[in-house]
Amino acid sequence: MTRIVVSLLIGLAAGIGLGLYIGWVQAPVEYVDSPLSMLDQPHRDDYTVMIAYGYAADGDLTGAVERLRRLQVTSVPDYVQALTERYISQGRNVADIRRLVALAEAMGRLTPLMEAYRAPAP
Amino acid sequence: MARNYRISWVGLLLGLIIGLALGLTYAWLIDPVVEYDTQPYQLSAEARRDYLIAISLAYRADGDLRRAVERLVELRLPGDPFQAVANAACDLFLQGVDNNTERNTIEAMIALYGPQGRSGCADQSGLFLVTLATPTPFPTAIPVTPTLVPPPTKTPTAAAPLLLTPPTIAPTRTPTEVPRVDDYIIANIQTFCSVTLAGVIEVYVQWPGVGDQPGIPVRVAWDGGEDRFFTGLKPERGAGYADFQMEANRSYTVELPGRSRRSNPLAASPCTTESGERSTTSYRVVFRRS
Repeated sequence: MTRIVVSLLIGLAAGIGLGLYIGWVQAPVEYVDSPLSMLDQPHRDDYTVMIAYGYAADGDLTGAVERLRRLQVTSVPDYVQALTERYISQGRNVADIRRLVALAEAMGRLTPLMEAYRAPAP
Repeated sequence: MARNYRISWVGLLLGLIIGLALGLTYAWLIDPVVEYDTQPYQLSAEARRDYLIAISLAYRADGDLRRAVERLVELRLPGDPFQAVANAACDLFLQGVDNNTERNTIEAMIALYGPQGRSGCADQSGLFLVTLATPTPFPTAIPVTPTLVPPPTKTPTAAAPLLLTPPTIAPTRTPTEVPRVDDYIIANIQTFCSVTLAGVIEVYVQWPGVGDQPGIPVRVAWDGGEDRFFTGLKPERGAGYADFQMEANRSYTVELPGRSRRSNPLAASPCTTESGERSTTSYRVVFRRS
């Protein structure tokens, strides 16, 4: 009887360990119904750049802010300003930076760092 | 007297099974890994629609189809991604268009899928005036080269808004058509032997009188697997071009899923080039709109 109980406990411990390893490392839960706010950093950045392009084409600031709110950032202008300055400091695509700067400026967040990428007044 | 410490295999197996079940239950249900780095394809239906809208807005502004397709591919939409945009625009339209933002959104989506020959209830409503996406130059602070102002014409003409009649839609097709398996025929399959392009399937998707077709999904299948990709992702080779690298000594079929029939097996067999070098057979497959 002791032999069976000891074997059962050894198996149980090994099984739990194996189950946790599979469930957390090898085959973790894959979320498929995530909100936009859960996007990874590169795609959050890209989403924001796309919205900035949209704003550059249609001038619809309300729509741009509304779409960026779906990222559930604390403050959309703060977020756009931070992203724009990060793009500038990282030397990213100039066309993307210009659109981001235009959006940041429309939100009243034009900083000295952005000046060089700013569109001239019409 | 020596005690018997031999393991009971039945007990061990039973414990292992119970333990595995407990471990998986805990790891998957009670305390799953919290995921922060969600990819676009993992988004909810609503969030994916927001992402589609963003892709459409960007495309209307920059006219960069390759970039738009790359972004669409990341969503891993089932079926035709451009038709998915059309369906999403239709859903938005049916929900009602109450303001300029919603109107802008739908018009941007039509500007993306319309020129690709797709259609939905939004564009069929005739309520949206859509200009085709063209790269719009963004004003720069420091002009590099001065440009001369063209002289005014004697009879200036107002630029009329372009009603959605994409030039890429053949006049014989109605906007309500759905993809059919005989939309495209395999017009030609050529083999060639090259050291630099060894074991490659080159796919060309053409529409006579219209041009090469970008953003068309292509499926290559082999025994035990398949790969899907889009035309137009290598614009330097042409808008309707895509390719696939085969493994030697394996057979593959190629098709435009839902829009063409499957090719005969294409074998990645050994071949000898004209200069006598050994390589793997490559194929050039041309799909043509029927």
